[in-house]
Formats: sequence, C-alpha cells, structure tokens
Amino acid sequence: MRAGARATLLIVWLLALAGLGWLVAQRLKVSTDLRSFMPSPTTPDQRLLMEQVGDGPGSRLLLLSISRSCASCARGTEQSMAGADAQLAALSQGLASALHADKRYSQVLNGSFDLGALDASLLPYRYLLSPTLDTQPLDEAYLADQLQQRLDDLSSPAASLLKGLLPRDPTLEVLKLAERWTPAKSPQVREGVWFSPQDEALLLVQTTAAGFDPDAQQQAIDGIQRAFHALPGSAAAQLEFSGPGYFSVVVGAQTRQQADWIGRISSVGFIALLLLAYRSFSSLLLSALPIASAALTGIAALTLAFPEVHGITLAFGFTLLGVAQEYPIRVLSHRRAGEDAVQSVRALWPLLLTAIASACIAYLAFYASGVNGLKQLAVFTIVGLLVAGFSTRYLLSRLLPVRVRDVAQMRWLARARDFVDRLPRPRWIPVLMALVIVLMLAFAPGPFWQNNLAALTPLPQDMLQRDGRLREALGAPDVRYLLVLQAPTEQGVLALSEKLQPQVDALVAKHAVDALELPSRYLPTVALQRQRQQALPDRATLQHALNEAVQGLPFRPDLFQPFLDDVETARQLPPLTPEHYAQTPLGQRVAAMLVHRDGHWLGLGTVSGVHDVAALQALGESTNGAVRLLDLKAASESLVAAYRTRILQALLVATILLVLTIAVALRSLRRAWHVLAPMTLATFLVLAVERMAGIEVSLFHLVALILAGGLGLHYALFFERDTGDAAEQRRTLHATLVCVLSALLVFGMLAWATIPVLRAIGLTVSLGVAFHFCLSILMAPHASED
Amino acid sequence: MPATASSSAQVLISALGQPAPARTAFAEARFMQVLDRPLVVSGELAWLGGDRLQRRVDHPQQETATIADGEVTQQRAGKSPRRFSLARAPQLQVLLDSFVALLSGDAGRLQHAFEMRLSGDPAGTWTLSLAPRDAKVAKTVASIAIDGAGKQSRCMRMQEADGDLAIDLLGPLAAKMPAQPTREALQALCRGTP
Repeated sequence: MRAGARATLLIVWLLALAGLGWLVAQRLKVSTDLRSFMPSPTTPDQRLLMEQVGDGPGSRLLLLSISRSCASCARGTEQSMAGADAQLAALSQGLASALHADKRYSQVLNGSFDLGALDASLLPYRYLLSPTLDTQPLDEAYLADQLQQRLDDLSSPAASLLKGLLPRDPTLEVLKLAERWTPAKSPQVREGVWFSPQDEALLLVQTTAAGFDPDAQQQAIDGIQRAFHALPGSAAAQLEFSGPGYFSVVVGAQTRQQADWIGRISSVGFIALLLLAYRSFSSLLLSALPIASAALTGIAALTLAFPEVHGITLAFGFTLLGVAQEYPIRVLSHRRAGEDAVQSVRALWPLLLTAIASACIAYLAFYASGVNGLKQLAVFTIVGLLVAGFSTRYLLSRLLPVRVRDVAQMRWLARARDFVDRLPRPRWIPVLMALVIVLMLAFAPGPFWQNNLAALTPLPQDMLQRDGRLREALGAPDVRYLLVLQAPTEQGVLALSEKLQPQVDALVAKHAVDALELPSRYLPTVALQRQRQQALPDRATLQHALNEAVQGLPFRPDLFQPFLDDVETARQLPPLTPEHYAQTPLGQRVAAMLVHRDGHWLGLGTVSGVHDVAALQALGESTNGAVRLLDLKAASESLVAAYRTRILQALLVATILLVLTIAVALRSLRRAWHVLAPMTLATFLVLAVERMAGIEVSLFHLVALILAGGLGLHYALFFERDTGDAAEQRRTLHATLVCVLSALLVFGMLAWATIPVLRAIGLTVSLGVAFHFCLSILMAPHASED
Repeated sequence: MPATASSSAQVLISALGQPAPARTAFAEARFMQVLDRPLVVSGELAWLGGDRLQRRVDHPQQETATIADGEVTQQRAGKSPRRFSLARAPQLQVLLDSFVALLSGDAGRLQHAFEMRLSGDPAGTWTLSLAPRDAKVAKTVASIAIDGAGKQSRCMRMQEADGDLAIDLLGPLAAKMPAQPTREALQALCRGTP
C-alpha cells in the first residue's frame, strides 16, 4: 500500500472512531443500580428480596454517629464532658431539623421528643390513632383521674413540658403516640438526644432513595454531610455513617479506586512490554486502534440495544476485551522480514477467525444467562471481539510499516524454542492431570460454591463492627429477617397486622425477638378508627363530663375549650388512609411498610434482635401463607444458586458449540483434541488449585475462568498449528510469550487487590493463563511427530 | 457600685456554702395561668453533691424527682418512674444551677449561668436577683430571686416568662406556708425579718 493511501486509511479510521466516540458520549447513560446485575427472581420470596434489596425499610436506613473529633477530646474533665454532650446534642438537633425539611430523607430520628411526628393538621387524628379509646371511654371518671394526674404533673418538675399541651390534650394522647412510635429499644437519651455508650450522639435517617443505588445514596450522604458542616461547631466534631446504603457507596468507591491504580500500573507495564517485544512505537500505537475500535463499537452497540448501560458491564467488559489484544500481538509477532503485513495476516487468518468465533461462543453463554447485566456484557464483548478481529485483519494489516524485524531471527527465541521442543511430552500427562484434578477437587476443604453475595463485596472489619455496635445501640431493624403479611387489600394487611399484634407482643415478652414493628403500629385500620370514632362522646356529653370532672380542681373553667374542639373535629374526620397519611413524614414510614404487588398487598414487619427464629416462623403457621417470616439471606442464597445453575447450563451448551466449531474449523477430531484437551484440563486445574487453597467458587470466578479459557484456547490453537516451518514455530512462541506475559502482568496485578471481586478475577485469570500456557506446550504434538 | 455589689455578692455566696449532702425543707406555691388558685406542695430539697439534686414532695402526694447526669427521674408511689432529659426542662436546669451553686457556695458557677444583682444588706436581710444568661433558658425562666437573712436563704422565687410564678419557702419558713397563699402574702413573708 502506498504511503498516501495508508495515511488516508488511518485518517478515515481515526475519524470513524471520533464519530463513534461522539455518538457514545451523546447516548451513553450509565446506571448504577446493582439489581440489574442480579438474576431475575422466580419464587415469591426471591422477588420480594429483589425489591427489599433496594427499597425495603431496612436497606434505606443510614445510621449516623456524631462524636468529638480528637482535637477536643484531650481535655477530658467531667465538666468538659458535660459540655461536650451538650455540643453533640446541639449538632444532632441541628442536623435533624435541617434534614427534616429535605425531600431526600423520609424519616429522621435522633431521640428528641418530636411532636412534629404528627403533622399539626393531623393532630385531631390522635383520638383515632391512639389505642386509649379501645379500653377507656372519655367519661367523667376517666377525665377526673386524668385531670388529677395533670395537676400532680403541674406541681412536678415536668410542668413546663406539659403546660402547653394541657388545654388541647389533657389526656396526653400526643405523648402516648410519641411513645408508641419511638423505636421499642432505644438508646440512652442525654441532653434530649440519643447517645451511644461510647458518648456519640446517634441518629437514624431513612433515605427516599433505594439502598443499593450507590449514586442516589452518595447524593443522600453528601446532603447530610453538607447540612452537618453548615452547622456551627461542626468543625470540632466528627460525623460517621453506617448502613447498607453507605456500604454500597464505600464498596463502589474502593473498587473503582483499586481498579484505577492497578489499571494505571499495569497499563504502563503493558506498554513497556510491547515496546520491548517489538521495538517500534508506530506498531504499538497502531495496534491500540483495534482495541479502541472494539471498545467504542461495543459501547455504541450497548447504547443502541439497551436504554441504560450498567457501570459494572463497562468495567468487566473492558477486562474481557483483554482477549482482543491478542489479535494485533499475533499479527505483530508473525511478521516476516520483508513480507507485507497483509500477507502475514492472510496466513494467520483462518486460525484467528477460529479463535474469534470460539471466544464469541464462550461469551454467548453470558447472553443465555438471562440476567440483564450479563446480557449487556455479552453484547459488548461479542461486538468488541468481532470489531477487534476484523479491524486487525482488514485495517491494521494495511497500516503496519513494511520494514520490520522478524522476531524469528532473535537468538534467545531460537534457544527458547529448542528448549520447548526438547521437553518430554509423555502421553500419560492428560491422564495424570485429570487424576490430580479429581483428587484435589474431592479433598478440597470447605463448601464448593460461594453463595453469599455479600462475601464478594465485604467491608473492612472495623466498619462491620461499628455497624453492629450502632445497630445494637439504636435497636435498628435486622436486614436479614422480615415478617411478611399478605392480604388482598391494604386494609386487609392492616387488619392482619392488628390481629397479629398480641402474638407479637407475647414473643417480645418471651425474648424470642427484641422488637417487631408491624404497620398497624403507625396506622390502624379504617374499621378500628371508625370504632374509636364512635366511642368519642358528642360535644354536650363531653362538656358535661368535663364539668363534673373538673369539680374541686383548680383548673380555669374555660381552659379546655381546645380539647372540646379537637374531640368534636375527630368525630367528623374521614378515617386516615395510607394515601392521605403519605403526605407526612410518618406516613412515609408506613408507605415503606406497605407494598402493592400482583393485585395483592404485602405488609412488611421489621424485626430487630432475633433470638428464636423458630418462634417467629411459628407466627405464620395456620395462616395459609398470609403471614410468613422471610429470611433475606436464604432467599439471596437460593437466588445465587439458581443464577449459577443457569450460567452453568449455558456454559455447557457453549462448550458443545465450541467443540463443534473447533472440530469443523480444524477438520479433524484428533487436532481438536490437541486444542481442547489442554484447555479443558487447565480450566479444571485452576478450579482445583483454588479449591485446595480454600477458595469458595463464586460467579466472578466462573466469569474469570471463561476469560482464561478464551486465552488458553488461543495458545492451544497456535501451538497445535503445524506449519513444519521452524521460523514460524518460533514466531508462534514469541507471540504466545508476549500474550502470556501481558495477561500475567494485567491480571497478576489484579490478584493483589484487596477487593475480593478484583482478586477473584485477577487470581483466576493469572493461574489460568499460566496453566493454559504450560499444558498447551506439554500437550501440543511434537513438531517432529508427524 | 456594681463592682462592690458583685464582690459582696461573692462574699455572701461563699458564706452560704455548706458541705454536701445538704438538706432543707421547702414549701412551694405555684401561681399558674391554667389554674385559678395556686398549687401548694411541700417536702425536702437535697443537694447530694456534684450535679445531683433531689426534690422530695411529701404533701399532698409522695413524689421524688432526682436530677443526675443530665437526666430527671420522677417517681410516684405505685407508678413506674418517668425519665426525661434535663435539656427539656429549663426550669430544672435553672434550679440546679442556682441551688447547687448556692449550697456549695460556688459564686463562679452562679456568675457563669446568671446575671447577678444583690440588694439589701448581706449581714441583715438581702435579695439576690439572678437572670439567666442563656437566651434559650431565658425564654422559659425570666428571673430568679433569692431572699435571705444573714447566712440563711429564706425564699426562692422563680418568675417564668409566660407570667407563671413559683415561690419556695425554705428552711424553717416552709412551715409558715398559708393554706390559701397569695403572691403578695408570700412576697411579704419572704421579705419579712426573721
């Protein structure tokens, strides 16, 4: 190709890439909801789990602690401790009132007595919400007793607390409701707010955003931090977070950070390796073009096929595209002195095409998994591999410089090839390997599969400990168990909840569970509200009872006018429904506990401190499934197991297709054996070695095994190729060495990461590459054999 | 002159100091807007040392309120104790600050919490007026006045911002609480010579 034509081709290619880049920038919408990477649930419990993972009341809770920062904790006299408590309490109050007004938070609790829990416009509803009227009519005897108690209150130190309430609420229904609505097991209250035994002020914040949407959680956390830092005196204190939403943010940030620095180091190493191998800048730069094209076309295909692209798809996709780097490397290593690159490629193309086709088949298995995120991954990698392969064949080959060093001339390579050729290749190697693998798998310690999703994104131990500590101090609900109530209507769920309450109270009394919060705790049924309404006396009756009750007491005669008005209003009120209630902060709390699905309603009871699971499960007996205890951990494990089964099935189909493809491409079962046997053995060897090391196999290990298998297939294909040309054999060895070293560099670095997902991929692929390389050499036919 | 007033106030307060635990009888009349006659209770106030104060009511009903570690615990015969934070009851904070400071003779603490003014003769009858410095507290408690004679506090008058008034007769004077007290009668009693 002439220089002018080459320049034109290069410019057109670069322009096309720029165009693709523009398209991607315009259309790409990255989503971060982890749920699109989870399998579609099949059982009702799994479906509920998927909803709860994001939207459940437990997963949307942020646990906050405010402590003195250590600049001020040096002076620790008793006097300054009291002062510090007051300071932290003021910060807690300031933060709570700032967040109350913010739509991003549906509930903010800090232990302070909060009349605002019941909206001012809803105040007359207290007579319908409070259980007082169920046992006690507002008659003369009750009022007289209550008024006498209020008089005692007025002469007590609590007078100032009650003085304002007295005219409107002489029976203190508002206080009864506030007590009813505070978490059953709440922390110590000092200076009016919750404190932990470690002297931190504690807050509970429920976010409107889903718990496992790291972006939205990040915004919620940023909002809290901004509000906190705007408070006077916040500089001397430290705000710390815990809870599922915070963890998803931390894990995301940590993974990105580690992947970034590992990526930077391995990129530098990779470039250095290629420069060393080919001693040509222009070859290096040009060989990056197929990969860039692959990545951009892959993303462009995703933006066309899916409304949103998941962040994890992109991260894993680039990793999996690593296979495509082999195509330009093969071409570069197989150049002969004086030969046109197009000619070199032509000779390699049948083999490259087989490699591309088989990698695509392996990745097709992801598509068959039925998981949205993995489908995206399949589309991205398959499109990317095809583009990388074809652009290497038809574009890159026309751009590479004509004058190159033939690697076959390098003396060390000749020596290395001789060494490889002299290696003994006994026929019993596969049998021995298979035996070793079977033995290792049989005697490996621990369970085979890792079913715990959380184990893959574990948190630093100190963070988990703090979470446990805060959760215990705050009595925050367990994220593992939920009591699920099912009924055809919302009111049905509330009625069920009311019916269940006595049994639940009995369980709490028996210490089977520390607390169990049912939806009816916040909102009684319409029927019960009506019943209470009917128990309210009319104005004249109440006025008469009050007049009698107040006899002999020093209260001002017209003092209780607001009380009479409120009771009269309460008699006329339409009963409070969840929709109406949802306008208020407390209604939001109820809304989170009531879920409408498939024509029926579910009520979610949150559970704290489970001591006797069997007793809780017994609640559901003889209810025909209307009440059941949902174990989110068990549901998630069954989900992972089902997910894995589907992937394994898809892999099985992919394997059969792969054998067929290789056999057809090589037109010989014996040759196909030489390619597939080392690949299969190496794959199982990785599995066996990891199992011996006590590693439980997760989905990420499976993904990494497939990637390593794709690389190994290349090694085996090229080693098996018998050209009868010693120089070509040397070039094959060179290309494979470069590929192996670059893969070891990139994935070996990843194996050092502390994030288990990254480490799983790094370790598995590195081991895989090493085993595939060794086995494909040891099991390749001897050059002299035929 | 304010300087001498303040220093004579300090001398007076130091002279009032007693070792803990210090106990004194009290009788309190509360004049409240929600009531058309005052509420009268009597019992014993005790400073247990540190920031711990106990207010025991014997008449008309047994009740004990203890302030300790920023928390108020209220106990009534036959009922489970009620607890709330001191921060929610500014009067109690004021009571604690003034009473403990007076009983322990801690002028510095009084000075820290209140604007002080002494009138009368420290050796004869005197009145110590205290206005809370904390604006939040001042929203509930407007002022406190302590009347005394020599080294004896006789009366404590707490004027709340909403117009309610509590008058505590202390020590031997507690026995002199009239059956139907009026503000004027009690104030005269407080000012009167022993």
